Amino acid sequence: MNGYFKRKAEEYRALDQADRRRYWIDGLLNNALYILMAVFIVLTAILNKNFLSASSVSNIITLAAASLPMALGIGGCIVLTGTDLSGGRVFGLTAAMAAAFLQNRMATKLIFEHLPNTSGAWIIAVLLIVMLVGAAIGLVNGFFVAKFSLHPFIVTLATQLITYGIILMFFQINGNGGGPISNVAQQFKDVVSGPAIRIASKNVSIPWYVVYAFALVLIMWFVWNKTTFGKNMFAVGSNAEAARVSGVNVFRTTVLVHTLAGALYGFAGYVEAARLGSITAATGLNNECDAIAACVIGGVSFVGGTGNIGGIVVGVFVLRIIFVALNMLGINPNLQFIIKGGIILAACSLDMRKYLAKK
Amino acid sequence: MKKVLALILALAMVLCLSSVAFAEEEVDVSDLKVGVFWYAFSDAFLSTVRASLNEQLDEAGIAYDDFDANNTQATQLEQVQTAVTNGYNVLVVNLVTSGSADAAEQILQAAGDVPVIFFNRAVEGDGEEHTVLDAHDNIAFIGTDAPEAGHMQGKMIGEFLVENYDDVDLNGDGEISYAMFMGDAANVEAIYRTQYGVEDANAILAENDKPELVYFNESNTDKYQLDPNGAWSSAAANEFMSTNLAEYSEANGNMIELVIANNDDMAIGAISALQNAGYNMGDGESTKIPVFGVDATQVAQDAIAADQMTGTVKQDNVGMATAITGVLKGVAAEETLADAAAAVADSDDMFSIAEGFTNKLFVAYAPFTGEAE
Repeated sequence: MNGYFKRKAEEYRALDQADRRRYWIDGLLNNALYILMAVFIVLTAILNKNFLSASSVSNIITLAAASLPMALGIGGCIVLTGTDLSGGRVFGLTAAMAAAFLQNRMATKLIFEHLPNTSGAWIIAVLLIVMLVGAAIGLVNGFFVAKFSLHPFIVTLATQLITYGIILMFFQINGNGGGPISNVAQQFKDVVSGPAIRIASKNVSIPWYVVYAFALVLIMWFVWNKTTFGKNMFAVGSNAEAARVSGVNVFRTTVLVHTLAGALYGFAGYVEAARLGSITAATGLNNECDAIAACVIGGVSFVGGTGNIGGIVVGVFVLRIIFVALNMLGINPNLQFIIKGGIILAACSLDMRKYLAKK
Repeated sequence: MKKVLALILALAMVLCLSSVAFAEEEVDVSDLKVGVFWYAFSDAFLSTVRASLNEQLDEAGIAYDDFDANNTQATQLEQVQTAVTNGYNVLVVNLVTSGSADAAEQILQAAGDVPVIFFNRAVEGDGEEHTVLDAHDNIAFIGTDAPEAGHMQGKMIGEFLVENYDDVDLNGDGEISYAMFMGDAANVEAIYRTQYGVEDANAILAENDKPELVYFNESNTDKYQLDPNGAWSSAAANEFMSTNLAEYSEANGNMIELVIANNDDMAIGAISALQNAGYNMGDGESTKIPVFGVDATQVAQDAIAADQMTGTVKQDNVGMATAITGVLKGVAAEETLADAAAAVADSDDMFSIAEGFTNKLFVAYAPFTGEAE
C-alpha cells in the first residue's frame, strides 16, 4: 500500500505543469458523482440535522435494500449492452404470486383456497416458486435475444406486455375482481420484513430483507468476478464476436444472464409482498426504470462489458439518498424528477467521457 | 314433515321471485352492443366495479366488451374511434384524464350520434361545470360527487379526534400533527380529498374548541406527500412514511399522530411502515396511530377489523355497476339518457341527480369504521 502511494507520488512529480493540471481536472471529473453526492449529503445534513441520525441512515439502508435485487439483476443485462424493460412487470407478477400464496389462511377472502398452512417450509417453497417464475420469463427473454439476435429492448418490451396481461388475469382469480391482494401471513412478514435489529431508544429498525440484500450483493459479486460465467458475461458484453471466436458460448451466456435477472426480480417481488402487505396490478410499474438508472449512475455502461457490483450498490444508494433528502427538506416532489434526470444525464456523460478520452 | 314444509316454502319463494321478475317490464336488450372503456385495468377500486358490472350485464343479457386504456388518453380515444366503426351503439367511458372537458369533447366527437355514458372519473373540471354535460343531449355522467368523499373523511376524522383527542395527542402538546398522502396531483377527487380531509376535520375541531391539525413537517409547504407516478400506490405511501418515521418519533417527541390517505391502498402502505416501526400491530399493546383512507376495499375492511386502521369511506362498486346497468336498460327501452338516469335515481336512496343537472347521476359514499357491520 505504502509503495503504491510512493509510486503515485513519484509519477505525479514527474509530470509537467500542464499534465499536473489535467491530472487534477481528470481526477475531479472522474469522481464528480462522488464529490457531488458528498456535497449534497453535507448540505442536507446542515439544513436538517436529522438526515444523518441513526434512524435516518437505517431508513436509507432499508429503502436501498428493497430496490437492490432488481438493480443487481438488470445490471447483467446492461453489461451485455442490452436492457430489460420487463423487469417491473415480472416484479409485479411475482409480488402478487408471493402475496397470494402466503395469505393468512384465516383471512375472509383468499385467492387460492387449497394451499398448505403457513410454515417455514412453505415460506421457502414460495420463494423458490416465484424465483422460478421470474427465471422462466427471463429465460424467454434470453432465448429470443440470443437465438434470433433480437435487441433486448424489443424482446423485453414484448414480454413486459405479455407479463402485464398475465398479471391482470392473476388478479381476477377466484372472484377477486382485480382488487388488491393482501392479508399476507404474519410469519412471512416476520422473516422477511420483520426487524432483524431493533434499537428502540434510537428509533432504529433494520428488517431482515436488508440482511438478505447484503447476502445477495456478496453472491452477485462472486458470480460477476470469480466465476467463468461472470467472465464470459463481460467478454460477450465487450465484443460478442470476439468472445465467440475465443470459445465463449454466447448463446448460453446471454440466456443465463437474463434468467438470473428474472430470478432476482422474483426475489425482489417476494420481498415487496412482505414489505407492503398489499399488492395491486400496478405494483412494479416503472420499477425497471429506477433499476436501470441506478446501474448507469453506478457506472454500468450501455457501451457494454463494463460495470461492477459496487457501482450498482452506489447507484441504488444515490437514488435513495436523493429521495430521502428531498423529502426531509420538504422540497416539491416535481423537482425530484428534474434532479434525478439531471444526475442520470451527468453521470452517464461523465462515464462516456472516460471512454472518449481513451480513444 | 320438515322436508315437506321446506319444499313448500321453497316453492313459494320461487313463485314469489318469478312473479317479481314477471312484474318487471321486460326490456329487449338484444340490440345493445356496449363498449366499456376503462382508464386502467390495474386500478384496484375500478376493478371491483368492473367485476360487478360484468356480472350484472351478463345477468341482464346485455352484450358488452371491456377495453383497457392503460392510463393513456390517446389510447382511449383510438379505442372509441375503433369501437364506433365496429358498430358499438352505447359507449360507457371511464375517462383517463379525469376532469378534462377537452378530453371528454374529443371522445364525444369520435362517438358522433352514439350515446356516451361517462362514469367514475369527472368530465368537467373546476369552473367548467355544465360545459360538457349541458352541451350534448346523448350523454350522461354517473359518478360520485367529487368533494363528497373528502368531506366525509374530514368529518369522520374530526369526530374521531374530538372523542379521542388526548389519546391521539401522544406528546401532549395540545396539537395533533398529521401526515397526508395524495394519490395523483391531476385528479379532482384527489385534490378535494386532500383539501377537505383536513379542512372539515379542522372545522369540527374548531367547534369543539380544539386547535387545528398541524402538518408534521413545517418545511413542506404543500402539506402533502404525492405519489410521483400518480398511481395512488401503497409503495409510494410506504416509502414516504418510513422516511418520515426515521425523523419523527415518540423518542424525539414529534411523532406523527394521525395519517390521512387519499385511498385505502396508500393507507395500507403507511400502516406497513408504521408496523415496521412497531406501531399499529393490532395486538392491543402497541400504540395505534389513527389511519384514514377512502374506498373501503376488502383489505382496508380487514385492517379495520384487525384494529390496525381507523376509518375509511365506502365507495360502492356494486351501486356504481347497478346505476350503469340501469341506465343501459333505459337506453334499450329508447328512453333519453336523462330519463333513464332519473329512473335510476328514483329506484334507490343511494342514487341522486346532481343539483342543476338532468343527466348527472351521483352514487353516494358512506363512512365506514367497521362498527355498523
